[in-house]
Amino acid sequence: MLRAIMTNREVLRFRLAGRATAWAAVFLLVGCSAVFVAPYDETTDRLLTDLYVRTETALLQAEAGQLTDKDQQQFFDNAIGTVRTLKARSSLFAKNEDEINALAELEKRYQNLRERGGPLRSSVATGLRATLLDLQQIQISKRRSETFTIGSKKSSS
Amino acid sequence: MSIDFERLLADMLKASEKAAKGHAADLKNYLQARVHLIVQGVAQLAQDRRTGKINDSDVKFAFDQIKESEKTQLNAVAVTARAAAQDAINAALAVAAKAINKAIGIALL
Repeated sequence: MLRAIMTNREVLRFRLAGRATAWAAVFLLVGCSAVFVAPYDETTDRLLTDLYVRTETALLQAEAGQLTDKDQQQFFDNAIGTVRTLKARSSLFAKNEDEINALAELEKRYQNLRERGGPLRSSVATGLRATLLDLQQIQISKRRSETFTIGSKKSSS
Repeated sequence: MSIDFERLLADMLKASEKAAKGHAADLKNYLQARVHLIVQGVAQLAQDRRTGKINDSDVKFAFDQIKESEKTQLNAVAVTARAAAQDAINAALAVAAKAINKAIGIALL
């Protein structure tokens, strides 16, 4: 039907235009890369791991009766300061909302434990330890993606 | 040189699968570690209460904090899922770029 109202030259032109559009779409698609998560940040990972170590150490010391009230207050001040630093740093990256939200929750966990008062116990800090683990998983996922990106860039060049 | 679309599709799917597989393994390990941590924490909580190291209000507080931490678990799972999707798509696009470069004879992409 279409052929009946179009000349051969018009059909050819139509086909060429269609093919060119398809190729342009392919080039456009392949030229871009999907970005759904913020890039891996080594400093964030290091600070977070350090905070995890300090928290577990403080919990062990508290259970052994070796953490004084002053030490405990110092630990909380230091931990909350670190979380706020991490939050500020994380907000500099686009597509990082989950990490920023998780860090806000982490600050709440430390604040709640501090407000609760009394000596620290690892059983009472289970929620805090779980949130620290969640943030570690976020870093692991980003790290894997970075390794993959570098690998695919190498293989495609 | 023309592109074998059937082959390209199969290669793209294979590359996507391979890219997402690592994230799936990480997710499994993480979920196992988290369940282990919670189970251990709850058992310790019960023991600490029995031995009088903590009181009822401490138990309630700790349990509320565990419930609150589910929010960050969702954050972690969401990032892992998005990172897996990102890598799967980019792996497929890398295969497509390679095929196009080969077809046109220059490393354009």
